[in-house]
Amino acid sequence: MPKFRIGLRIKVILISSFLLTLPWVGYKYILEMEKLLRQGQEQTLVGTTRAVATALNERPKLFSTQASFLQSVRKGRDLYAYELQNPITLNGQLMDWTDYDDKMVHYGREYVQFSRRPYNQNSISFRHLVGKYEGYLYAAFEVTDSSPILRRKNSVRVDRNDHLIIAMTSPDGEFFRYVVSAHADGWVNAWQITNDITDSSGLILQSQIQGYWRTTDKGYNIELRLPLSFLGNKLGFAFYDVNNAQNREIDTIIGTSNTSHLNRLGTVLVPSPEIEKILKGMGHTSTRIWVIDRHQRVLAQTGDIQESNGVWSSSVKYADNDGSWWSTIEKNILHPLYYRYLISEPTEFVDSLKDAALVKGVHVSQALNGRGYSHWRQSEDGKAMILAAAYPIWLGDNVMGAVIAEESTAGIQTLRNRAMEQLFNAILAIIAIGTITLFLFASKISSRIRRLRDEAEQAIDSQGRIQQLISPTKDTDEIGDLSRSLAAMVGRLGQYNHYLENLSSRLSHELRTPVAVVRSSIENLAMHSQDEDSLRYIARAQDGVHRLSTILSSMTEATRIEQSLQGAEKERFPLNELVTGCMQGYQMAYPHQTFDVQTETSDIFIFGAPDYLAQLLDKLIANAEDFSNDKDAIEVSLIQQGSSAILTVGNYGPLLPENMSDQLLNSMVSVRSQQKQTKPHLGLGLFIARLITQYHHGDIQLRNRIDNQGVEVVVTFPIQIIEN
Amino acid sequence: MKKIVIVEDEAAIRENYIDVLKKHGYNVQGYDNRPDAQAAFEQNLPDLAIIDIGLQNEIDGGFSLCQSLRALSPTVPIIFLTARDSDFDTVCGLRMGADDYLTKDTSLPHLMARIAALFRRSDLLATPTEQETLIERGSLTIDKNKMQIFWNKELVELTVTEFWMVYALAKRPGHVKSRHDLMDEAQVVVDDSTITSHVKRIRKKFLQYDDSFDCINTVYGMGYRWGS
Repeated sequence: MPKFRIGLRIKVILISSFLLTLPWVGYKYILEMEKLLRQGQEQTLVGTTRAVATALNERPKLFSTQASFLQSVRKGRDLYAYELQNPITLNGQLMDWTDYDDKMVHYGREYVQFSRRPYNQNSISFRHLVGKYEGYLYAAFEVTDSSPILRRKNSVRVDRNDHLIIAMTSPDGEFFRYVVSAHADGWVNAWQITNDITDSSGLILQSQIQGYWRTTDKGYNIELRLPLSFLGNKLGFAFYDVNNAQNREIDTIIGTSNTSHLNRLGTVLVPSPEIEKILKGMGHTSTRIWVIDRHQRVLAQTGDIQESNGVWSSSVKYADNDGSWWSTIEKNILHPLYYRYLISEPTEFVDSLKDAALVKGVHVSQALNGRGYSHWRQSEDGKAMILAAAYPIWLGDNVMGAVIAEESTAGIQTLRNRAMEQLFNAILAIIAIGTITLFLFASKISSRIRRLRDEAEQAIDSQGRIQQLISPTKDTDEIGDLSRSLAAMVGRLGQYNHYLENLSSRLSHELRTPVAVVRSSIENLAMHSQDEDSLRYIARAQDGVHRLSTILSSMTEATRIEQSLQGAEKERFPLNELVTGCMQGYQMAYPHQTFDVQTETSDIFIFGAPDYLAQLLDKLIANAEDFSNDKDAIEVSLIQQGSSAILTVGNYGPLLPENMSDQLLNSMVSVRSQQKQTKPHLGLGLFIARLITQYHHGDIQLRNRIDNQGVEVVVTFPIQIIEN
Repeated sequence: MKKIVIVEDEAAIRENYIDVLKKHGYNVQGYDNRPDAQAAFEQNLPDLAIIDIGLQNEIDGGFSLCQSLRALSPTVPIIFLTARDSDFDTVCGLRMGADDYLTKDTSLPHLMARIAALFRRSDLLATPTEQETLIERGSLTIDKNKMQIFWNKELVELTVTEFWMVYALAKRPGHVKSRHDLMDEAQVVVDDSTITSHVKRIRKKFLQYDDSFDCINTVYGMGYRWGS
């Protein structure tokens, strides 16, 4: 299984990834800050509502006309004049009312006041809405009538056909009734009923109340306009339906409230211009404010939720774009990145009042119960959070209404985004700089350690010899210490190695003098003594001394070769001739040993010292001969392979001891068995071979033969390229 | 009676050598340090000096002693006898003007033979050359008695060891002499590589007189032979 190496650099990078918690902490902090800001915004908004409410407190006049003293308001009976956004063209097509379609109230069975026959939905019903636009009250009626009966051309009576009765109080509280009936589609006016409707002489044309009557597939539409100055706080509409064109009897009366009696008349609420004036005067707050009455109907409103972001827009403006490279990078690279992945921008949202006639919400109900309250809600389309606050308006001990203020959180969101941009910029810089610094630091350390490792590896070669010393660094840190102690260690090891390598030559040098003493003494003795016995002992002693001096001289052989190699001269010569010549000599030197020689027929030129190469071959052949089985031939081959000459000397015999092949090339390493020790062996032969090979920039290897029948030595030399 | 001086700081060896040399009828004087020997040389020149290189606390005392003796007399034979056997020391010793360089391994009979040869050479230098002792091999002329070798009638300065080697080779041209043979002829006991460096030195000496000298051929694996 491959083991993954995790280097120092990667480790440091992994550790430095803890820096990544910084943005998370910063993000948390900013969220906390945003929460705080929101709380502040809540407080401010409640404060705003309180201030507005205070301005409206204890002003009964504002509310007396607004049916605010009613205990209950019934939808349908009590009318609410919506604030119309666009002018209404009176044409009976109800095109201008489509925005308010959902607010139209359907008047059906519940609102039937009289019916000759059991009420039938198709017979008559209507949808109705009143609105206010620039001093006029507009009313739209979409009447479903299976048989619309219009007034006859020449009839003076207005009640012998389908007609509309309008009942209202004037601002003074006077009760007025008007009738609207049409000869044909087109403009209609209302007639004030002074006596009885049947008395046509009692009808007075009221040209201020205009309308348009248009017959439709289902029945007819009526659009009406009347000046607000006519209108008090009560208003009711009733349709009198005639189905039979022959007898023209009233079959059904259906209306918003009973138009016959003042007391039974429903109320009308027209958004109060006074309160609106006060609100406008409250200043141009960046808040959407409504004032509602206790029946949750909007009396006045100001402000736009889209603009109500809760903060001063100047505070979220970006600093002037100075066109510097940083602001360019920020604008073109960083911000798109942030907003793509990290920050959400405040989005467009839609939040309109559902029904100005009935504002709902926890805050509203709380405020109407006399408590200021604020809460967060989602915008109508769920894309933004809206903060809504409400505060009651007091009149004495009664809650007359409430002030509702709403703001979006876009401002805070923008502030938060600004903070996050700054945070991310700062964190990005910190992480980048921190990571780069750590990376460089780790790289430095890692490269120093690697250099030390390489030096340590190169210091000692595969044979355990000191190749080069480690140069200690001057750094004062731990790696410097390590380098110094390694250098000291290798230095000491080198000294010890040097001592070992010189041990044999020193030893032989020291031994030579006593050996010479012994030898000269024995030789002196030999000259004196004529005694048979003495001569025999002397001969033995001389033999021993001779062997001793042979050992001494071979002990120093390696050293001498090393020294003489330094002064040797190289020449270009054919290696194959040298091998062939030497092999002939060996055949004479070892008459009982067979040799199997294979050399290339073409000349293999190398650049070297032939004497030493012959000596190398001597050592290899002597070694092979020592270990060879007597009957088997020693195989010697010289081949050219690429730019190398490969000399192989192989013999059949005992195999190499395991894991010793490299060491055998070292000084004074020998693995000969005791039986073979007829001659002194110091394990220097292969060491000398190695010295000579190295001198020729070659390579020597000792290995078991492929057939495992013996051992072979492979020496590789670079070939001297023939220059023409 | 020939007077021989031995300068050797190892008393046992010195005494042994003195004994042997006296037995062979030489007048022997032994010194164990350089200043004493130096003073003795200045008073009275010996006929032959055997000098150890390392003398007591002077590592190269033998070399400087050799130099000063050579300055006193250009002809007195000097033999270095030392435990050191490195090529470097050999070359140094011979440059100082020594006639031969022996390691302490050398047996006494070998030493005696060498001393006798050196004396014979110095004795015979004065006498006229007898024709029958001359061996001619092309440009080479060997005077066996005087132990002198001439190349194109010019004297080639060789040590006794070197003379014996060249003589052994040139005696039978074309005949291969193994290193062991040469060792026997030169009456030394050294290892093969020392023989190799001796042969190299001999070649260099001949090359000083003749750039095209190539009479000593190496027969790889066997030894050397004299080719003409």
